[in-house]
Parts: sequence; C-alpha cells; structure tokens
Amino acid sequence: MTSETYDTDPRPSRMSNRFRALWTQENVITIIVSAIVAIAVVLPLITLVVSSFLVLDDLGFSTEWSFGNYVTIVTDPIIPKAFLNTLIICSGCTVLATFLGVSLAWTNARTNCPGRTWLEPFNLIPFFLSPFIGAIAWHNMGEPKTGLLNNFFRDIFGIEGHVINIDNIWGVIWVTGIFFAPLVYLFVVGSLRRMDPSLEDSARTTGAGLFRTTMTVTLPLVMPGILSGAIIVFVTSAGEFGVPFKLSAPYGWETLTTQIFTKAVGDDANHYLGATMAMALGAITVFLIWIQRRYIAPRSFETVTGKGFRPNVLDLGSWKWVAFGYNILFILVAVILPIISLLIVSLHPVWQGTIMLDKITGINYVKTLFFWREESIDAATNGIFNSLFLAFVGASISMVLALVVSYMIHRTKGFGSWLLDFLCVVPIGFPGIVLAMGVLVTYIQTPIYATLWILLLGYITRFFPYGQRNIASILLSISEELDQSSRMAGATWVTTMRRITIPLLKPGIFAGWILLFVIFVRELSISIMLYTDGTETLAVGVYYLTNYENEPLTAALSLAQTLLCLICMIAFRRLAGKEALSA
Amino acid sequence: MTSEDISSKYLQVRNLVKYFGDDKAVDNISFGIDEGAFLTLLGPSGCGKTTTLMSIAGLHTINSGAIEVGGLTYTEPSSSIFLPPEKRDIGMVFQSYAIWPHMTVTQNVAYPLEIRKLNKSEIDDRVAETLSLVDLTDMAEKNATQLSGGQQQRASLARAIVSNPRLLLFDEPLSNLDLKLREAMRVELKRIQNEVGITSIYVTHDQSEALVMSDEIIVMSKGNIEQSGEPVEIYSKPNNKYVSNFIGVANLLDAKVEKVTEDGSGEVTVQYGEMTARLPCRIGRGVHQGDEATLSVRPENVHVSRDKTSDSSIEGKVENVIFLGNHVDCRVNWGEYEWKVIAHPRDRLKEGEKIYLRFDSDHTLAVQQ
Amino acid sequence: MSSNNNIDATVRISGLDKHFGPETAVLDFNILIEQGEFVTLLGPSGCGKTTTLRCVAGLERPDGGDIFIGDQLVASYEQDVYLNPEDRNIGMVFQSYAVWPHMTVFDNVAYGLRVRRAGKSEIKKRTMRALELVGLDHLADRYATKLSGGQRQRVALARAIVYEPRVILFDEPLSNLDAKLREQMRDEIVRLQKEVGITSIFVTHDQSEALVMSDRVVVMDKAVIQQVGDPQDIYANPANAFVANFIGVTSLLKGRVIGHSNSIYDIELPSIIGGEPLRLRATGETGIGEESEVHVSLRPEDVTLNTDKPSDAENLNLLEGKVIDTVYLGSFLECRVDVKGHEINIQIDHFENLSRDQTVFLTFRAEHALCLAN
Repeated sequence: MTSETYDTDPRPSRMSNRFRALWTQENVITIIVSAIVAIAVVLPLITLVVSSFLVLDDLGFSTEWSFGNYVTIVTDPIIPKAFLNTLIICSGCTVLATFLGVSLAWTNARTNCPGRTWLEPFNLIPFFLSPFIGAIAWHNMGEPKTGLLNNFFRDIFGIEGHVINIDNIWGVIWVTGIFFAPLVYLFVVGSLRRMDPSLEDSARTTGAGLFRTTMTVTLPLVMPGILSGAIIVFVTSAGEFGVPFKLSAPYGWETLTTQIFTKAVGDDANHYLGATMAMALGAITVFLIWIQRRYIAPRSFETVTGKGFRPNVLDLGSWKWVAFGYNILFILVAVILPIISLLIVSLHPVWQGTIMLDKITGINYVKTLFFWREESIDAATNGIFNSLFLAFVGASISMVLALVVSYMIHRTKGFGSWLLDFLCVVPIGFPGIVLAMGVLVTYIQTPIYATLWILLLGYITRFFPYGQRNIASILLSISEELDQSSRMAGATWVTTMRRITIPLLKPGIFAGWILLFVIFVRELSISIMLYTDGTETLAVGVYYLTNYENEPLTAALSLAQTLLCLICMIAFRRLAGKEALSA
Repeated sequence: MTSEDISSKYLQVRNLVKYFGDDKAVDNISFGIDEGAFLTLLGPSGCGKTTTLMSIAGLHTINSGAIEVGGLTYTEPSSSIFLPPEKRDIGMVFQSYAIWPHMTVTQNVAYPLEIRKLNKSEIDDRVAETLSLVDLTDMAEKNATQLSGGQQQRASLARAIVSNPRLLLFDEPLSNLDLKLREAMRVELKRIQNEVGITSIYVTHDQSEALVMSDEIIVMSKGNIEQSGEPVEIYSKPNNKYVSNFIGVANLLDAKVEKVTEDGSGEVTVQYGEMTARLPCRIGRGVHQGDEATLSVRPENVHVSRDKTSDSSIEGKVENVIFLGNHVDCRVNWGEYEWKVIAHPRDRLKEGEKIYLRFDSDHTLAVQQ
Repeated sequence: MSSNNNIDATVRISGLDKHFGPETAVLDFNILIEQGEFVTLLGPSGCGKTTTLRCVAGLERPDGGDIFIGDQLVASYEQDVYLNPEDRNIGMVFQSYAVWPHMTVFDNVAYGLRVRRAGKSEIKKRTMRALELVGLDHLADRYATKLSGGQRQRVALARAIVYEPRVILFDEPLSNLDAKLREQMRDEIVRLQKEVGITSIFVTHDQSEALVMSDRVVVMDKAVIQQVGDPQDIYANPANAFVANFIGVTSLLKGRVIGHSNSIYDIELPSIIGGEPLRLRATGETGIGEESEVHVSLRPEDVTLNTDKPSDAENLNLLEGKVIDTVYLGSFLECRVDVKGHEINIQIDHFENLSRDQTVFLTFRAEHALCLAN
C-alpha cells in the first residue's frame, strides 16, 4: 500500500492544483532527461529505418525510395555468404562460451576445486578485455607460418607445417568463445552459489542420487540463467567486428559486420546499403533480446529465500585436480598466453616468428605512447588522448542520465516511466555497429559529424543502459521508506537526493562508471564507423597499426590498452564487491 | 463522532476520501484526537488504515476532505491546499525502520535538526538526550548496519522524535520483529511516547498491539470506521460482529433478542441444530427486542464444570483439547455449534467427555450483525 | 495411506556428536523414538536441534555415535558407516518449503515415486491420494511458483509422505508462515501424522508448537539435551531453570535453601534493595541440600494478586510488592510486580485498574512454586 506516491492523483479537484503539482523540482528534471533519452535513442533508429529504403543511384549523388537495398543484400555475391558466416560464428561461439561458462561456474561455485576463490577474478578478466586485442594476440600465436605456438611445436616436436591455423572462421569462434565465456559465467554463478540448498537436499531425502539430483533439480533451476547468457553471447558475437576483421575477413570469410563496415565506410561508401544491412542484423538481435526478456528472464526461479546459505559443495576427490587444471588451462589460453605473446612481439623491431633476444627494443612503445617524440605515430597517440577523454566524459554523462532515469522508472513511476524503461532496453538489443550506422546517417549533415562529439553521442546512446541497470539493481534493493523518512524529517526532494539517495547509490554509481569507462576505452565497432582523421580512439589506433603498420607496433599499443583495462577491473572489484556483475 | 466533537480536537481528519484509480481506499471518514494522545488505526490489510496515515503524512494526496493539526491545515483539496511532507513537521517510524545505512546512529538522529538548521551544540545536546531516552547512548557512533532489528527501531524512533514534531506517525513499526522482541518493544514504545508526550497515530493489523499501546483505537474495515473508543471499551463492548471478531477471539452465535430491559440487560435465544438455549446477556448499542443479533462470548468467559451449576448452563461434548502450558484451548460441541473455550490444565478435560458450559451474563453481549 | 506397521520404523540415536570446526554442535545425544511417535526437538537457535535432524537425514556426517533407523545402522562414526540420504528411505520437510519451482505440484509430489521406479498408474494413483490428503488435488497441474506459502508447505508435506518412508523429518516447517496459517498447518500436520501413523521428528524453536504437537519433547540447549518428557510433564516439572524459562512464561527468583521437610523447601530470597530477606516455601525434587543456591520458578497464572492484605493466607506464601506496569491484552491483564527488587509476572483474568507503584499482595501455594537446583 505504500508504493503509490503523491503525484498520481487521478481526480484533482481543480486544474490550477494539478498544474502546480506538476511543476515540482523532480518533474522538471525528469521531463528534461526523458526528452534527451528519447531523442538520443529514437532518432538514429528512425533514420536507420528510413535510410534503408533510400537507394543511391550509380553516380552516388541522388537517391530514390524503393526496396532496392533489400534486393541487393539478397542478390549480392558476398553479403548472403557473410550472413551465413555470421550465423556459423554466432552458433559456434555460443556453444563454446556456454560450455566454458557453465562448467567453470559449476566447478567454482559447487565443487571443492582447489583455489576456487582466487581463480574467480581471473576467470572474469576476459570480460574486461577487448576481444579484438585477443584476436591480435591469437593471430600472433596461431598464424600458420609465424605463429609463436606453431614455432614452439615445430621446435619441440619437430613437426612439419603447422599445428594451429587461427586465421579462419574457426579461429573467430575460438577467440570470441573464450572471451564471451565470462558472460555466461556471470549469469549462472550467482544462482548456483545462492541456491537454497534444501532444494537439492529434499531431492536427496526423497531418494534421488547425486547425479539424478543434478540433472533433474540443479540444472533445470539454473537453465533460465544459462539460456539468458547464451542469448546475450549470440547477440554480442553477432555484433562483434574486431575479431572477424582481424582473423577471418582478410582470408575470405566476411561477416555482416565486416561487410557493413566495408560498404558504409571507404571510398565508394553507400550509407543506405550499410543501413539496410544494419537493419537486417538489428532485426535478428532485437528479436533474440525480446525472446530473452519476454520468455526466459521471467522464468528465472526465485531460488534465493533471503537467508545466507552455504551452498552444497561436492567433494570431487582426486578429480578436483583435474577441475583445477581445467580452470588453469582456461586462464592460460584466455589471459596469460595472449598477454605474453603481445609482450614478446611488442619487444621486437619487426616480427618474423622467432624470439630474438639480441634484438629486443622498446622502440614500439616510444612510437605508440610517447606523443611528445618526433617518431610517434599520430593515430596511436591521438587514440590514447581521445579515448581517455571519451571514456571519462562519456561515463560521467551516462551515469548522470542513468541515475535520473533509474529514479524515474523505479521511484516516481507513472508518467511515461514504462516508455523510459523500454528505451533503456532498446540500445542493448542493437549491436554497436548497427547503432553507429544509425547515428552516422542521422548526424552526417550536422556540424557534429567528424568531431569527437558524434563518437560521444554514439557511446552514450549505446551503453548508458548498462549503467542504468547497475543503479537500478541497487535502487530496487533499498527501501523507498529511506527517501520518505528524509522528507518526513523536513528535507526537500533535492536535499533528499543529495544527502540520502545519491550517497546510498554511490557504490553502484562508481561501479557503473568504471564499467562504462572500460567499455569506452576498448570500444571499436562504433568508433570505426564514426571516426575521422584526428578523432581516432585507442581501438581505432590499434586497427590503424594492424592495417597500415607492423605487428610489433600493434602489440605495443594493444598491451597498453589491456593494462588500462586491467587497472579498471581491479578498481571495479574494489568498489563494487565480488558479485556486482552477476546478471 | 460528530463534527462539533472533532472541531475541538488537536488533530482533525474531516470527511477524508481517497481513491486509487477507481478503488475507494478511504470512504469519507472523520476523526479527531487530543494533544498528546496515542491513537491506533486498526484493521486488516486493505482497510484503508495505511492510506489514512500516508494522507496525514503527505505521502499521498487526498481527493476530498481536510486534515488539520494544531490549527495548521495540512491539506484541503477544495481550497487547493497541499503542504508537502517536509513542511508538515511530522516524525514518522516506518515498518522497515528506514535507518540510513550510510550514516552513524548519531548522524541519523541529527539529520532532522540539521535540516532545521539548528546550531552544532544544540544538535549535539538534543541528540544525546534523545539517544539516552531510547537507550542507545552506547550505540551512538555505530553504523546503522551494525544494529540489531530492535536497535534500528529505537534509532528510527529517536530520529522521529528528536525535532519534537507536532505529530508522530507509526506505520506497523513492529511487524518485522520476532515475537519476543515485539512484545518488549510495544511496552517500550508506549513508555517513550508517554515521556515525550507527542500526539501519535499508530497503524497496525495486530489487535494485541492496539490493546496494549493505545489511549484510543479506531477499528477500520473497507475504508470505513467500524468503531472507535478506549481499548477496554472496544474489547468488552464491541459495536458489531466485525469488531468482536477482529479484536480477540469470540464465540459468535446467531441469536434472537427476546427481552430488553432498561438497565441494558436482556435475554436471547440461540438455536443450533436440535439444541436451543435462552441466555441472559447484556444488550449492545442499536440492538432491539425482536432483532436478529449476534451473541458474542469470549472463550475466557465460558466456564467449564462437570456438574450443572446454573439454570442457564448448557451441556456439550468436548471435541478437541490442545495443551498450551498455562491454559488449554478446547472445542466443545453443542448441537451444530462448536464453542471455543479456554480451560485450566487442572480441569483435566478429556476428548469425548460431557461437560457443562456456564456464561457470566455480564460478559455475554448481543451485538448488531 | 496405510500405516507402516509391517516395517520397523523406530529411530535410535546413541552418543551422537557433531562438531563444526572448534564448535560443538551436538554432544552425546541419546534417544529411542518409538514407531509412530511424534517427537519434537525444541530449543533456541544454535542449540543443535537442526544439526541432530540433519544427521538423521544424512545431510551431515556425525563425528561420534550411532544412528539406527529400524534395525538398519545408517550412520556410525566408530564403524565408519554412512548411508547417503537417498538410501535411508526417509521423508523431509524443510523450512523454506524447497518446492521445486520448475515442476508442477504433481511432478513435485510424484518425484519420489519416479525415483523409486513405480509404475505409471501407481504413480498417478498414489500422488493424487497424497495430494488429496493435504487438500491440494485440485491444484495438481499448477506450477509451484503460483502457490501461496501455506500451499507450498502442503506440497512439501505430500512430497515427503507419498512414498511411505519409514520416518519423516520436519525442519522448522512452520516458521515462514504467518500466525493464523501457522496454527492451521500445525493442526493439519498433527492430524496427518496420526492418520498415516508415521514416525516423526519435528524441529522447532517455538515452545507452543512443541506443546501442542508432540508425544514427547526433547528440550536442547548448548548442544546438550536438557530434558525429555511429554508436554504436560515438561511444563509442570521442568528439570532446570532453562527449561522452566523456555517453556511458557515464568518468573525465576534466585534464592537459598534454609530448611526442608521432604519435598517442601524453605527458601530465603535476599532483598535486592536492602533490608529484611524474603521467605517462602516451594516444592522441589528431594535431595537439594541446605544452603544450596536455587531458582524458584513461579508461573504467572499461579499467582493471585490482592489489592488488600488477605486475611486467610496462613497456608499460602504471601509477598508484598509494588506494581511496575500493566499490559492490557483483552482476555487478560499482564502485571509486573516488584518485590524488594525481584520482578514477578502475574496474569489477571479480568480487567482491573491498577496504578503504578500501588501496593499489592501476592499469594501462591507452595506446590506452585518450583524449587530448581542450579
């Protein structure tokens, strides 16, 4: 009965009364913010839809309305293949990431695998790193001729040819699979760890053995989490640009994202065709996200009854060392080997596949990081500055928006809050490259095109919902009576926000800020669509180096970006506590 | 209560109406209380008690009526008056305690004084005084999260009374505590309220809390007031079947009023199955000779004996005996009616045994159906 | 449900110990529970009652002692025997209901039969009968998430009895329900248990549940059994001050034995506020020595409050005191009286106007004052 607040009165006695009631501090602020959010999210999507029906003539000057672009994407010699490749990659990546995520979460939460408490943060590291960098690192290791691992095997076992070839569609699945495994892990580990143990105990006392209990009770209970994680992985991998760009596209396996990039950017750019492909990709992902939210998320069972539980832990006996080895192996291939390979490559003036201790140099770091030196490369050093600026400003603005929007959705209620809730979900359904396509066609004629501001706009629109979720989860867990008692103590709405609500949300705000900072620092697929000379970002810098310079330079900048992300991850865990990421 | 009665009171709620959408949560109720009194709004969930409290607090707007405290009008839609909650000078204790977890106990309690811009030394004095009143002096520098439920409730009370507000509101403050603590806290709450003398309104669905704490109780149902009065009056002279059933436990029988005398006593007949009895009783308000009424008899007022000790004794069969330590709950079949009876363990009642029930006519009451 | 007359369903626990790290959860627990008996383990939280139950269930491994169900040894530390819970043929009802949310009511209840590979028609028949017993047959196809707390607990109950286990274990099954529903479910469980005739062990911290439901009550505190007996016996003859205080309401007065004849003791209570000590006569077990420190336990309903000094009290204990406060509870009045620094609770049947600090006279019989050795 206490959930209704005081501006939902349906039967005001006078109009003047009603008008005055609307003109409160909170309503003024919330109306402004919701207008900003609505324009930022809706405008690019509408423009995207509209432009997909505009067909560019052969000369590239004038356009006419038709379904021509849709015909093109079906009849084009490359696009249908790219579509098929995308589906293969997404399916493979989803299977691999789900298997890895669930098995790691289970060994970690429910077995006596040694060292599981300190293994967990390492399992989550890939979540904070860039898959694009992962692809670069794995290219250095698994390239057939010069790959470190192939050389290693040749040297040790005297094998002719190569053991691994990472430069194909399977390589893309491998790298995205290991990098997205933490997504599934996060969806599953919380419900495994906090599951009321009596749910399983009662199966045991009813007469079911351990295996049967696991198959008929434990697994079905976490299934909604597994499915949600799997769908998120599918959608994320569908929108992944960096990995296929590095590993498969150069070798003949195009994907939708690499095709959108090729068609929309470059010398004979056709934004309208790009928009049409983005529409196709967006349609798939939005559909899947809708399925997840409509059918799967509501099925997640309340298996947590509020008490602190010690979960049932399975004694694996000597098998626990196998589980330990498995977990270490994952960390090795997902984190340690890539970082070591980047380090090795970055210390050579040129990379020819063998370690040459006498040639070791720091010149690549000088060139990519020391912006004050003559020989520094602008695309790299600009990228550092621009990314730090975008990440700092973008995360800050996003969190302010997120705060007000969360407050509106979960506190003020009524008054269009369902619409805001919806607007906060929409960007999550669109891969960055799709949304960037929309932003591009929307603002191409305005002064912000070709500035950092268009990047900022793209970043915030696409990612502020992540911050919003971070705040909303805390806001939902703190009682509304905490705010109300401040009002009763005599404080106005603004004072209450300043002294009660915001301090209570502080951990969520900081955690969200750092999360967004990391996302922005490594962001590639929006940046690649919207940058121009001078507005390169860190990831674009890496892209530039890998495309136009050599591998050691690329590795140096990649490692710098990775270190920045790792520092943010440590800060995030300090501030947000261990389980802040879970679902 | 008539409007003249209310107009002399400290707190006045007049013709309060509140809708949620199309649901009428509060249906034109009026009441008032004297300064310093402790009033309880009692009723099941959805009866409108919390809505009434929220309306007084200013956390809900109302559709019509007026709320006035000590000469200050809080809200009156017909004159476009709506004082926001922070301007009403009210202390409130919530069900969830609502102690701010990012502050210490002292900071929590000092907050209303800081908002009122008192100077530092005065704030320190008043906080210390209030904390000692609620017996939390030792916890002053503890973080709110380190307190137990009972201690959080004391801190919440201290925060509500520290600014010496016009009015103190309680929204089911004890319902999150366990039974033993709840019983201790209700006595404690009442003691502190007595000491500070702030006019208080208390909302609960727990009738025993209402009986223990209140100077006056208002029993509500479906947005209306069923009865108001002192606890003893409500318990021993319920206006109707609803109140009798809600407060305490009662045997409620369909009865026909045979006789009403001037001193308020009379006789009724009750019939269940083949059993009939004519019982002397008191006659409640609004009950007349010849009416169909409800006879209300509390289980503790039913006396059990193995011999017939009075003309109006009735004979029944013990159906069920539940041992509860200091007393025995039993069910006695009489025709088609099952009496709830409280007996003494030393009576050693056995299931299936025949016994006689006798009723004290002073504690047997015919009320409106 | 047929009763299990043909199988031996006693539970025998001897010398049970259980430690969690340095903490002793259960120490030297011994009991023989008869077939069909309803035994309650009662005590405050942390007293070891739940641990004992979980040892019987096989959810904890004992660190000492033996547990027999019937003539089957299910756990023994000394002989290194430990049967998994699924091999003990027991039923268990949990505090959190633990009804599986991904199954229907029917599937929840049928689970134990499917595990036992019962035939399809038998599963259907027996599941529906169990559901009828708990009054949920009309909700068989509903998902467990759509049920209220009370209904979930009924599902849990049906699930635990459907395969006719030898013993059913209850781990505070009523504590998540609200007061009205709790009483209702309490009566229901007793009825069902009598009907099915199944040996039951029930864990609770609520003394009224224990009094109402049990054939025998085991009172535990600090990992050790304090008293075993039927409810009336435990209420009337508590073995020590802990039991007296935990079961029902009582005033415990600290005093010293100064003389006795058989089981009637003369006791001196020191005056806490100074002055002459108080004297009273109390009943106790024989063999409490002169000069021993004792507690006198006095139930509120056994004390009579007089506003004037009674004249006919030669055979009664008489104490003079002052009213501390009264609490009106409708059916009775609770009154606390200060007698030279000792606080005595009294229950008065009818409303009476007593003011604070009013002088009152308390009378009670020697057989209602229990002398408990420390």
